[in-house]
Amino acid sequence: MLIQFMLNGKPCRIDVEPRKRLVDVLRDDLNLTGTKEGCGEGECGSCTVILDGAAVNSCLVLACQVRGKEIITVEGLAQNGELDPLQKSFLEHGAVQCGYCTPGMLMSAKALLMKNPHPTEKEIKEAIAGNLCRCTGYNKIIAAIKNVAEDGGNE
Amino acid sequence: MKKNFDYVGKSYPVHDAIGKVTGGLVYAGDMKLPRMLHAKLLLSPIAHGIIKEIDTKRAEELPGVVKVFSYKNSPCTSYSRYRLLPGQENCPADQKLFSDKVRYFGDWVAVVVAQDAGIAHDAVKLIDVKYEELPVVTDLSDALKNEAKIHESGNLIREYGYTIGAGESGVAGEEDAVTVETTVRTPRAHHATMETHVCIARYDVSGKITIWSSCQGAYAVRTIVADFLGLSYNMVRVIKTPVGGSFGGKQEAILEPLTAFLAKETRSTVMLKLNRRECILSTMTRPEVETRLKTTCSKDGKLLRCDINAVLDAGAYATNAMDYIAGTMGKITKLYRIPNIKYQAKSVYTNCPVSGAMRGWGSPEFFTAVEIQMDQIAKKLSMDPVTFRLKNLVHPYDIDQATKISLGNAGIIDCLEKGAAEFNWYERYNAPKTEGRYQIGVGFACGAHKNSMYGGGPEFSTMTMKMNEDGTFLLNTAVQDLGCGSVQTIRIIAGEALSVDPEQILVLEADTDYSPYDFGSYGTRVTYVCGACALKVAGKIKEQILDVASLALQQPKQHLKIENAQVYNIKDKNQRISFKEIGIISKNKYHLDIIATETYYGVSNPGGYGAHFAEVKVDRLTGLVLVTDYLAVHDVGQVINRRMCEGQVQGAVQMGIGYALSEEVSVNAKGQVLNDSFKNYHMINAPDMPNVRVILLERGGDDGPFGAKGIGELAVVPVAGAVVNAVNNALGTNLSHLPLTPKKIITALRQDLNSSI
Repeated sequence: MLIQFMLNGKPCRIDVEPRKRLVDVLRDDLNLTGTKEGCGEGECGSCTVILDGAAVNSCLVLACQVRGKEIITVEGLAQNGELDPLQKSFLEHGAVQCGYCTPGMLMSAKALLMKNPHPTEKEIKEAIAGNLCRCTGYNKIIAAIKNVAEDGGNE
Repeated sequence: MKKNFDYVGKSYPVHDAIGKVTGGLVYAGDMKLPRMLHAKLLLSPIAHGIIKEIDTKRAEELPGVVKVFSYKNSPCTSYSRYRLLPGQENCPADQKLFSDKVRYFGDWVAVVVAQDAGIAHDAVKLIDVKYEELPVVTDLSDALKNEAKIHESGNLIREYGYTIGAGESGVAGEEDAVTVETTVRTPRAHHATMETHVCIARYDVSGKITIWSSCQGAYAVRTIVADFLGLSYNMVRVIKTPVGGSFGGKQEAILEPLTAFLAKETRSTVMLKLNRRECILSTMTRPEVETRLKTTCSKDGKLLRCDINAVLDAGAYATNAMDYIAGTMGKITKLYRIPNIKYQAKSVYTNCPVSGAMRGWGSPEFFTAVEIQMDQIAKKLSMDPVTFRLKNLVHPYDIDQATKISLGNAGIIDCLEKGAAEFNWYERYNAPKTEGRYQIGVGFACGAHKNSMYGGGPEFSTMTMKMNEDGTFLLNTAVQDLGCGSVQTIRIIAGEALSVDPEQILVLEADTDYSPYDFGSYGTRVTYVCGACALKVAGKIKEQILDVASLALQQPKQHLKIENAQVYNIKDKNQRISFKEIGIISKNKYHLDIIATETYYGVSNPGGYGAHFAEVKVDRLTGLVLVTDYLAVHDVGQVINRRMCEGQVQGAVQMGIGYALSEEVSVNAKGQVLNDSFKNYHMINAPDMPNVRVILLERGGDDGPFGAKGIGELAVVPVAGAVVNAVNNALGTNLSHLPLTPKKIITALRQDLNSSI
């Protein structure tokens, strides 16, 4: 079925199979392989994208459900070759190790800051509660997000 | 030792971090090659049985299916997927691609190759298999008693041990000593790399196989695949791809022999990418281990004797189980001075998922048991557990009595003393316990690990470095970065040696057609051995740069010094020449190529050490444990990349807390795995993760680059012991069967209540 939606700020028209998941359409049909799949059941958060301002697991969304909506993937974070402040902060704070959870973490953090530019540390932790990371122990990821939060993310 | 480093000890992102934050880095699972086929495995739904009939006809008829393979049309060649080098001992070849016998829930029954992953997925469901079920062995304690034989050779894989001093017979001073017996179970854990296992193999018309794999040792993979397929080693090329986490889970050639076989048979390119369920069930796990310790200690707290009995559950295939029990497992001598030791260990087959390497390779299993027991001994002696440890810990330059190799500048006493002070241990440990629903407890544990394979096998690394025409560098290695920053570590070391910004050095990773030889990433050898190799080869390049500068500046070499990518005359600082100029004049004026290949041979294997302190809050109503404060102190010799070093420790604490409290691949009486997804395999997430304070002691004194030792594996060793000891401190229990799930905690509290009534 033919669907149209906004993808990283640009209109996207694509013919998708009705049973195909968003993660597969992004990765296989649109070659946006920055979005990763780690579990296929919405537990690890590696496939997180932003759907109309909310962080969602793209493995739990059917592609046809995004018709007329707005999707942002990790590829859409940097603007005109300039990294998003979150991306820069992840680099500066050592929040990136193997990198497999990183796109999902960034998208959950981005969705949080879009809604709430002044999150507390607790709110940051809750926003990434559905994003598993096996390398960093989260500490440096939380520090990186806090640093971007406008008031420093203090309680 | 040099302390004012230009680059060493500062913080850098991992080398490919920009690709990771932008989503541009291509992992193996992101690759799309022309006409690439996709493979899908059919896994056994029973833990032990004979395949009586297998009908693949319906699957083969599905449009888009290229071929289906099972034991009926695949080689009956047996192999060891663990083997590092041909001719290596202790690598039983007990596995085939497919067999008519399945030995665990998740064993490989058949594979479909199809034009796309969706078709392959649909086709495996069309394979009809009839099994004759066999009795199952699902617990290590039952393996040697049970008549069910998993392999013809019987269920005992190996028995190994050593004795120091009088072993188990009586020793002087034991008359009024204290003896404590403890049995500790550490669980079968899933590595849970966020990237599941994935491999691509391409067959080309010359008959050559090229493999792209998220692996830890490309050369080992090459020998296993080539021997399995009967190809010469120059007809198999293995290229290491970016690894989305490994932790030992990708050490063995799990998918590569099969994927290469499929590529060869279909004369095409095949991708085999596992989903999470397949990754949990049919790759490997940390082995479940039961460790029984019987330790005798004098009244004043001196350890006299320790009898250790351990049984390791290898699962259905041996892989590394012969070596695992003989590595750091049982090596209490790395941590404590004990005059009399007897260690006996067995590894056994069961019908459980296959176990193999996982971060720490026996050290977390073993030292968790040791440290739970050390707390029990201290309790029995009514002695503070820190004070008790300090009486018995190894000292710098002690000899490891089990291996007869020096422990180097072993800093465990330093770690424990600094940690106890920073954590305010004595005050917190002696704080009165409160009544009520929530109980606070504190605990700590010490841990040790090795650095490199030296003393246990061949240990060396080879690298080639060259200067480019513009004065930048290329360092060709077979180093394998598993996502923890090994490439950046190598780059910093070489940069420091050459006084050049590490950014100017491109470090290449393993590609068996182009890389100099290296064994790969395991055994805490990368920083210690590969790092030393980088230092050595960079030193050679430095000499060549100075040779060219000497010609160009018409000054003797001893008058020349390198600083910030320039060579200058120490007698006239204005006389200088940049690396950029040297890069070109070396070639066009002096006809010299700046290039060197060096092999560094390991010469030592010092201990790496850490002391971890945890505070927990236990909910007596639900049995839930939350780790509320955490301090990790490590003797790392010298920090190379500070933030990544801290990150290794913090990540290890996440893994270790799960090991202590929640992570276990559970198997029921029929051998079926009960938690084959992240829905019911519980890892610590961000809200449950404490802030981990990390103290890194830079004591140097060993042979690593600038005195550095490894951290990645070591950091997970003390975690579970510290957390379990804290829970036992909170509740006044002696829990020792990990993980301490709410069910186990509630059961223990009820027993406690019953016995007090």
